[in-house]
Amino acid sequence: MRSLTIKNLKKKFKNVNAVDGINIEINEGKMIGIIGRSGAGKSTLLRMINRLTDPSEGSIEFDDTKVTSLKGRALRKWRSECAMIFQQFNLIERLDVLTNVLIGSLGRNYSILNLFGIFSKEEKISALRNLERFDLSEKALQRASTLSGGQQQRVAIARALMQNPKILLADEPISSLDPKNAKRVMDDMRKINREDGITVICNLHSLEVAKRYCDRLIGLADGKVVFDGSPDELTLEISKELYDLDND
Amino acid sequence: MTDKDITLLHPKIFLPLWRRSPWVIIFSLITVLYLLFSINYFNFSFTQLLQGFGRMKPILRSMIVWNDFLSWNFNSIAIGMLQTLAMAFLGTIAASIISIPLGLMASRKVIESSLTRFIIRRFLDFIRGVDILIWALIFVRAFGLGPLSGVLAIFVADTGTLSKLYSEAADNADNKQIEGLVSSGSTKIATLRFGLMPQVMPIFISQSLYFFESNSRSAVILGIVGAGGIGLQLSERMKAQYWDQAFFIILLILIMVAIIDRLSRALREKFIGE
Amino acid sequence: MTKATAENHNKELNRLLNKRRLWNFFLAIIIIIGILLSSSVVDVDSSRLLNGLPRLGDYISQILPQLDSQSLFLNSQIEGSLSYWYFNLPKYIKLLFETFNMALLATILGSTFALLLSFLAARNTSPNSFLYYLVRRSLEFFRGVPEIIFAILFVWALGIGPIAGIIAMTLHTTGSLGKLFSEVHENSDNKTREALKASGGNWFSEMRFGLLPQVLPNLISYALLRFEINIRASTILGFVGAGGIGQELYLVINFNYYEEVSAIILMIILTVVSIDLFSEYLRKNIIEADND
Repeated sequence: MRSLTIKNLKKKFKNVNAVDGINIEINEGKMIGIIGRSGAGKSTLLRMINRLTDPSEGSIEFDDTKVTSLKGRALRKWRSECAMIFQQFNLIERLDVLTNVLIGSLGRNYSILNLFGIFSKEEKISALRNLERFDLSEKALQRASTLSGGQQQRVAIARALMQNPKILLADEPISSLDPKNAKRVMDDMRKINREDGITVICNLHSLEVAKRYCDRLIGLADGKVVFDGSPDELTLEISKELYDLDND
Repeated sequence: MTDKDITLLHPKIFLPLWRRSPWVIIFSLITVLYLLFSINYFNFSFTQLLQGFGRMKPILRSMIVWNDFLSWNFNSIAIGMLQTLAMAFLGTIAASIISIPLGLMASRKVIESSLTRFIIRRFLDFIRGVDILIWALIFVRAFGLGPLSGVLAIFVADTGTLSKLYSEAADNADNKQIEGLVSSGSTKIATLRFGLMPQVMPIFISQSLYFFESNSRSAVILGIVGAGGIGLQLSERMKAQYWDQAFFIILLILIMVAIIDRLSRALREKFIGE
Repeated sequence: MTKATAENHNKELNRLLNKRRLWNFFLAIIIIIGILLSSSVVDVDSSRLLNGLPRLGDYISQILPQLDSQSLFLNSQIEGSLSYWYFNLPKYIKLLFETFNMALLATILGSTFALLLSFLAARNTSPNSFLYYLVRRSLEFFRGVPEIIFAILFVWALGIGPIAGIIAMTLHTTGSLGKLFSEVHENSDNKTREALKASGGNWFSEMRFGLLPQVLPNLISYALLRFEINIRASTILGFVGAGGIGQELYLVINFNYYEEVSAIILMIILTVVSIDLFSEYLRKNIIEADND
């Protein structure tokens, strides 16, 4: 079984350590929730795994690949294997849903034709299949901006699946959604975790949601791991400490 | 579901490209055809072009290598620069002053008669349709060579544009302040002075500053037709093929324009910011 | 409101008013000094201005056509007819067509180059900072030098004719649009670019999908504005031999073919105004389609 190993990872912004010496090992196929207050370093951690942000110190390894020293083509290959979805969905609002999903394939097999908006039949079929899984294939030719927030986030998940990822990183995926849509998105993420065996690492602000959906929770405070275990092990005291409830 | 089922379910997606987005194809085709037409129309020949650029090599060299730098006539260059600045300044000030009444008369907030507005607006369109260099040429005919013709050219060309911008600013002014004065029985003049002017004055000033900035660019070329300023120095040197001195003047112009850009941006922020 | 706060309020108001008055005063002084200095540099003396005005009046009345309402629609042999005034119309139309094509071609070429370079010249999209610096500074140079100066240079190198004018306008257009485009890129939202990057897309797909769809309406609108400017510019490039109707205008003004001056200027105005209107209509539609 492959695993993601993070060793002594640090990130400094000016003089503040956003992430301050994190050590974790994550096995393939699990659904991991990263919890903590805003500013605890959750987002920075996720962005470093995808290498959108470069760490100041430490290493990230996946299987035998040393992720933190990848460059150029190898880096782009890694990014396509570890898909990411965002709080604001980050879809191209002016383009149709189908193209938004097709864009996920650019990291795997890129051709100059793609730049003219031309994609192969196989890619289109696979994009439609991915949309179909989330009941969105009817909307394939609509502009992304006409969709609701929940639908947009599920399009983003379909785009992520186009990358054939091994890991899905979700940075506060439900923070901009109402409860009903949030549930739908979380259900869909669990679905791809269970059915496709994709490791899901998910930043969550809500402890309730994290407990309900995740196999394992990692609690961050001030850039350090303060909790690592199954949802059952998370006591009231630790969660108070995580969210700094006493000081509020 | 098989692949076939999916293609049948979404027929539109699997149409050939020209059926899916015909306009893109047509537009690209027109562009390509137009480019081919232009090559033919202008007798574009690449060998001629290459020859021409070959001829430019010594020019490019002399632009960078300045041999007799110390013997250049810096005095005339300095006077030329000053003249250009002065022309831009006077032209802008004069145009700004005349544009206040003209702009207000072209605004529906001030003049109810649509015929008057129509006439003034067409008159302004007419002025704007003529490039500043054409105005300069005409004034050189009437007033002779020299910077005075340049000032007048800037004045006329700017009046066309500034008046239009001023009238748009007046059109966009807030009605409440004007109505307040009208309802309290103010005269028309008082309404304009206290209801409209305080609103539009900062915009007017900021636009005039912007025009001073752009005029310091356009004043540079007026010398080409003999209307004074640094352009005269520049075009004379280009005609005599003193490319090194010409390039030096171009650099000076760029520096001058950059400095004015900075100053005017700072001032504009001051006025709009308040 | 108590009396004390009302007084404070008044004080504050007075202070602001005084500050404003001071500013206006300061501004007025600067303008007056500027006018005095500039007048001494430019040598504006009122006698020259006054002597020139009647001459300007004479000149204008000379260039205006002597139209005769009786013979307005008679043939070009008869003085006072429209066709006498416009006896050279076929030539003007040919030259205006050339002028139009120069502007259009330079706009197409210039905006294409500007688009390609703008990605390198925007701080947030440039692949490396040296390239950014180099491209940005070159664009600023080409933007700073007026097209007619380039035209003089190219007329010298390539000979008299529209090609020199087209190249000159293309260079200037590349510079000014390139700078504007890269500023649009810099003000764009980086979320979609980030999504492209996170999915392993390379720089080209990041630009094409992450940035271009977002900024395209803006870029087209700027290119159309530039086309309007280029139409004006191409009417004067002929003054230095770089093609278009300007060459003919320069000739008739200098040789005092009076009525032809007004004939050409009127045609230029009609062309410029109608293209402005058309382009304005297009720009409005693009912005409206964008807001759908």
